[in-house]
Amino acid sequence: MLAQRIAQQSLRRMAVQRPLATSMAKFASPAAIATNQFIQTRPVATQNMKPNEAYNILVEQRKHRPVSPHLGIYQPQITWYGSALNRITGAICSGGLYVFGAAYLVAPLIGWHLESASLAAAFGSLPLIAKVLIKSSLAFPFTYHCVNGIRHLVWDFGKWFTNKQIQVSGWAAFAVSGLSTAYLALAW
Amino acid sequence: MASIVRPSLLRQACSAAPTARMLSTRASINASQRIAQPSFVRSAVPTPMKAAAFHASAKRAILPPGPQHVEGTANDPVPVPPAEPTHGSYHWTFERILAAGLIPLTVAPFAAGTQHPVLDATLCASLLIHSHIGFDSMVIDYIPKKRFPKSRALFTWGLRAGTVVVAIGLYEFETNDVGLTEAIKRVWTA
Repeated sequence: MLAQRIAQQSLRRMAVQRPLATSMAKFASPAAIATNQFIQTRPVATQNMKPNEAYNILVEQRKHRPVSPHLGIYQPQITWYGSALNRITGAICSGGLYVFGAAYLVAPLIGWHLESASLAAAFGSLPLIAKVLIKSSLAFPFTYHCVNGIRHLVWDFGKWFTNKQIQVSGWAAFAVSGLSTAYLALAW
Repeated sequence: MASIVRPSLLRQACSAAPTARMLSTRASINASQRIAQPSFVRSAVPTPMKAAAFHASAKRAILPPGPQHVEGTANDPVPVPPAEPTHGSYHWTFERILAAGLIPLTVAPFAAGTQHPVLDATLCASLLIHSHIGFDSMVIDYIPKKRFPKSRALFTWGLRAGTVVVAIGLYEFETNDVGLTEAIKRVWTA
């Protein structure tokens, strides 16, 4: 099949050059081919490359591939918003713990005072609205991460794993976390 | 191929016009011998340009592709990483057991008060390991090893060093000061 294809293509090229000759002759004679007018030439220059240069060209070419749109086009849903918020709130809480732990260790070297008594005095001297705002901005990540963590552990037992249940529990987690934040920030 | 059985087909194929998709060859065509265009003519405007006419803003990728890494040649399949239970199922189980254990540890200071140093120390240690596992998951997710080998190593070891530093800091806080839960309570109710 491939041989016939190649023969067909070469005959077409010869028909372009000498249409009258090929309509009479079904095959080009070896003598005609030997006269060098039926040789195909390709005006393309090639260059020798080492394998790692070829690899670098491939890597550069891959950067030009179109990136399939993802975050910009996906419909906002409580499922993946909740999952992203779980990671973000966990990072906020843990990041705060890490920053405080490291800062407490280096505080004497810099001259800061991060003992609990100093922190309590400094916080107590703030106006009430500032205290409520700071407390709620610390309480919400903590409560949301806790409630969503329980939701994750429920899934690890295989429960509440249909799409509908995940959506309902997602909104419920958000609501419980909001109410807990309000209670912790205002009532304590 | 039908042209084997019917030679007239081959003759028709021979006298057909060469299409633009064939291999480029140096073939000189006289103006008198130029063959007429086929009746089906492709539009001068390519399809991507037609699609772009509907776009109101420029195309900007939110996260452009970073450095690329190709394992082997472009024709080799992506290698599957070897399975190790310490990084796989044992890690998962330990992470879930720790997270489940954190629930009563977190409820206890609210229920039983904040003046219990052993409970506080256990809570601090569990929180620290839980945070380390969480940050490690983020590093593994967002910094693939094959594409960013140095950054991945930097962040992995930086996280381990940070966890050790915070562990020492929390130990100092627990020993010299009132403890994590008591401190939070004092600041909160200040």
